[in-house]
Amino acid sequence: MGLLRFGGLLALTVAGSLAFTTAVPAPAAAADDTIVFGAALAATGSTAREGELTKEGYEFWKDYINAHGGIKVGGKTYKVDIKYADDESNPQTAARLVEKFVSEDKVNFILGPYGSANSATAAAVVERLKVPMVEGNGAAQSIFSQGFKYTFAVLAPGTKYLQGILEMAQTLKPKPKTVAIATANDAFSVEVGGGAAAYATAHGMTVIYNNKYPASTTDVSAVVSAIKAVNPDIILNGGHLDEALLLQRTFKEQNVNAKIFGYSVGPDTPDFRKTLGKDANWVFGGTQWSPTAKYQGAAGFISDSKVYAAEFNKKYGHVPDYHNAESTAACLAFQYAIEKAGSLDPLKVRDALQALDVVTFYGILKFDSRGINMYKPMAVNQIQNGNLMTVWPLGVQNAKPMYPTPAWDKR
Amino acid sequence: MAAAPPSRALGGITGNATALRVTAGILIVMAFVPLLHSGYYENLGRSVLMFATLSLGWNIIGGYAGYVSFGNVVFFGLGSYVTAALWQHWHQQSIVLAILCAMVVGVAFALVLGMPILRLRGHYFGIATLGIALATQEIVSNIDWLGAGSGLTVRPVDAYSTYYYAMWIVCAASMLATYLIARSKLGYAFVAIRENEEAAAVLGVDPTRYKVVAWAISAAMAAAAGAVFAGANGFMDPPTAFALDNNVFPIVMAILGGVGTVAGPLVGALILTAINETLWSHFPQIHTLFFGAVIVVVVVFLPRGLLWLFNTRGGWKGIVGSLGAYRV
Amino acid sequence: MQLFWQDLVNGLLVGGIFAVVALGFSLVWGIMNIINLAHGSFVMLGAYLSYVLFSTWHVDPFLSIPIGFVVLFVFGYCIQRFVINFVVRAPILTTFLLTFGLSLLIVNFALLVFHGDVKGITTQYSGSNFSIGGVTIAWVKLWTLIVALVITALMQLWLTRSKTGRAIRAMAMDIDAAQLSGVRVAHLYAIVFGLGAGLAGAAGVLISLSYSLQPSMGDPFVITAFVVCVLGGLGSVQGALLGGLIFGILEAFGSQYIGTGLQDAVALVVLLIVLIVRPRGLLGKATA
Repeated sequence: MGLLRFGGLLALTVAGSLAFTTAVPAPAAAADDTIVFGAALAATGSTAREGELTKEGYEFWKDYINAHGGIKVGGKTYKVDIKYADDESNPQTAARLVEKFVSEDKVNFILGPYGSANSATAAAVVERLKVPMVEGNGAAQSIFSQGFKYTFAVLAPGTKYLQGILEMAQTLKPKPKTVAIATANDAFSVEVGGGAAAYATAHGMTVIYNNKYPASTTDVSAVVSAIKAVNPDIILNGGHLDEALLLQRTFKEQNVNAKIFGYSVGPDTPDFRKTLGKDANWVFGGTQWSPTAKYQGAAGFISDSKVYAAEFNKKYGHVPDYHNAESTAACLAFQYAIEKAGSLDPLKVRDALQALDVVTFYGILKFDSRGINMYKPMAVNQIQNGNLMTVWPLGVQNAKPMYPTPAWDKR
Repeated sequence: MAAAPPSRALGGITGNATALRVTAGILIVMAFVPLLHSGYYENLGRSVLMFATLSLGWNIIGGYAGYVSFGNVVFFGLGSYVTAALWQHWHQQSIVLAILCAMVVGVAFALVLGMPILRLRGHYFGIATLGIALATQEIVSNIDWLGAGSGLTVRPVDAYSTYYYAMWIVCAASMLATYLIARSKLGYAFVAIRENEEAAAVLGVDPTRYKVVAWAISAAMAAAAGAVFAGANGFMDPPTAFALDNNVFPIVMAILGGVGTVAGPLVGALILTAINETLWSHFPQIHTLFFGAVIVVVVVFLPRGLLWLFNTRGGWKGIVGSLGAYRV
Repeated sequence: MQLFWQDLVNGLLVGGIFAVVALGFSLVWGIMNIINLAHGSFVMLGAYLSYVLFSTWHVDPFLSIPIGFVVLFVFGYCIQRFVINFVVRAPILTTFLLTFGLSLLIVNFALLVFHGDVKGITTQYSGSNFSIGGVTIAWVKLWTLIVALVITALMQLWLTRSKTGRAIRAMAMDIDAAQLSGVRVAHLYAIVFGLGAGLAGAAGVLISLSYSLQPSMGDPFVITAFVVCVLGGLGSVQGALLGGLIFGILEAFGSQYIGTGLQDAVALVVLLIVLIVRPRGLLGKATA
């Protein structure tokens, strides 16, 4: 009797749920006239917000493309569809979802997840399954040092994030000399910090503080008080949004002043300005893109950043930040590569991606032999009176940098 | 079968025999999953086996010996790093080598730390293990030889299904080991410690020594699982190696399936994974919400785990009637 | 040398928050033997309550503290009375699992309602600070510590002087004897859990003044609560306070002198040493 109860319940649950999962109708991949992309994105977990921004970027492109006829492959025009699944901000889940997209759902191509860790595990999967993936949200160079041939990243790599700020600093008077760098202890941030330190030393600045703190920590008082003690001209942070917020608040609380405050992630996101209000002013951020960037994109999509920003704002109710833009750019890479290859064959599209060289509203899309976009410069933004302005490089500048940053009690 | 002393572990020290046979059968069926040639099912199955192994490991110290450990993930993490280090520094891809080295490292860690820690009772032991896991994660994040915060890459072997078979072997071996241990003097010593540690000591069972052995066994299982996982994952960094999920879920699975039995962990792993996958494919946005609800409902109605269903007299009425066994 | 004093002050200030977070957790664990994994989610709810009140009606967060306490108290009472009480006499693992499920429920529900984006409260006085002898102290953090001390003192008074408080302590010592002398255990259990939740809610409001808000913000605080409770001794109000302050100081010094990358590891190693040398914690009772 017990066996029936137990065994029955067990078998029922297991078999039932497996039947359920396979019963979910998978849309016919590229049946007739649709190109299907798979995207594992965080809808829950610590990077849920960034996952949402990535999805907006993908969706914007999809709606635009479908409204304008679709992608031309050979002589035929195809519509686009993107399937999403929640990777829970977890790299293993991202890998499993990508596996499912390719082997069960038979999607054509993969759009990358958010974050370097998730991109790394996804990259390993697509390499094995030989399906191209383009991502716009995983900047750690370690993803690309393994000789993978099927993963491409449209964004500038982590090492470059803060270099623009230092480059700009060299042109300001009085020229700042000392630099303090604090980085969160995760792959992306460590690269950012390392790139900044290397650039500073190579260009005659002295790095007087360079330390890591635990990622997503709740308390940075020790880092802040140590930085205060060495009184640097420039303070840089390699980290994500939550760390940037915590640091900026703590700098104010501990009355730490510097000529330049620079963050790798944070100033660009509307959350940073909204949460900190006036305290966000004067902060510099390395940025992949801003609405004032002056690139002229090729035909086939919106070519002007201002127009992109306006259309995006109309659709989603907020001005796009660079997460949105780089996600759209990832889709653009596929669009141009597929059209050039004239085919949906994974290998042909992969080769077309490798050979891609096109300017878009986001900047140039071109990949080196590792799959990284080394050709797109990082710009620098600054929050001036509550507005985000591009201040560097001179070619895309729409405001002069406000320098030096006044002391907290003099604002 | 030898007359087993009545034990609160439902149905004798190994758990209900029929349940065990059914579960063993399912395990054998699972060995054939790679033949489906579906990357997705292989990934899913490997995940079930991995969690089942972690749960079996936890079950030894937490279920049989009654010492709830909140930090067994540290062994899993160390095992993972062994594989990563073997590839990164010595270019070794051999899964067997990785498993053996990982087990050695795990057992050594448990032995060294176990002596002082296992003198602690109840909650304090639990907290100490949690502290060890957290501290180890942070320390590893600062060791450059292990990739620090950025992590290490691991190149998987070309025949990718090998990882599935390896995980299956690790899980099956763990389950067999649990069965044999449970029926040996070790197993009875563990249960004696769980039921009444002072009495056990008086009767000649040295509690600390046996507890350390229990913890070392669970360490070996967890480390072996970690070693296989790292190769399959292709990448290892501190948050991945010491993930909280890998700490909490195995405990949840053991409880769901039936603590202190041989079949419980695998049963729990299967059911929890099945529920999670179903919810996720139907409610992509709010599956975790439903998952939490499912756990709450199941715990309220089945507080002693699934295997409890076996031992209730009186059919369904009996089950309903005994719902209030633990209420106040 | 100045750095030393600054670190000490920083440690104390953050320790006050740890103490309030741990207090509720310690009560529930010490008195009912329930490890409430949903404690962090209660803290989060308190923080979001403060945020909603501030952004909609400009209620100053310090005024929201009692509101947060009351709202979460009621919430916690209901959860204990109508859910947890079903299995409260089960082995500790069962309630552990139950609260884990509750935590998932609450956090994901908050994610649905508030979305994942980071929110924060910035008041007129945020970040304002003063200096004494070269040590900079933020006003908000100082007031947070003061409030934390007040809450702790009030809780201690209530537990020792009030009738309900004494009934609770009797129940903790021997539940059957208490029940025989007429103590309504189900109701009292719910009160204790409600208290734990209310304290978490108050802590959440305090936290909302200094930290950013996200649905997952409560998780690190559960772990801190665990450690502080054991450090200070379970079930002891003064223990939670002492443990919190000491843990805060340990983290501050550990991160400054051993390495900011190791700030948690240092504190945890000290915890381990304390456990080995004095298992019941600094102020805990002799029985585990």
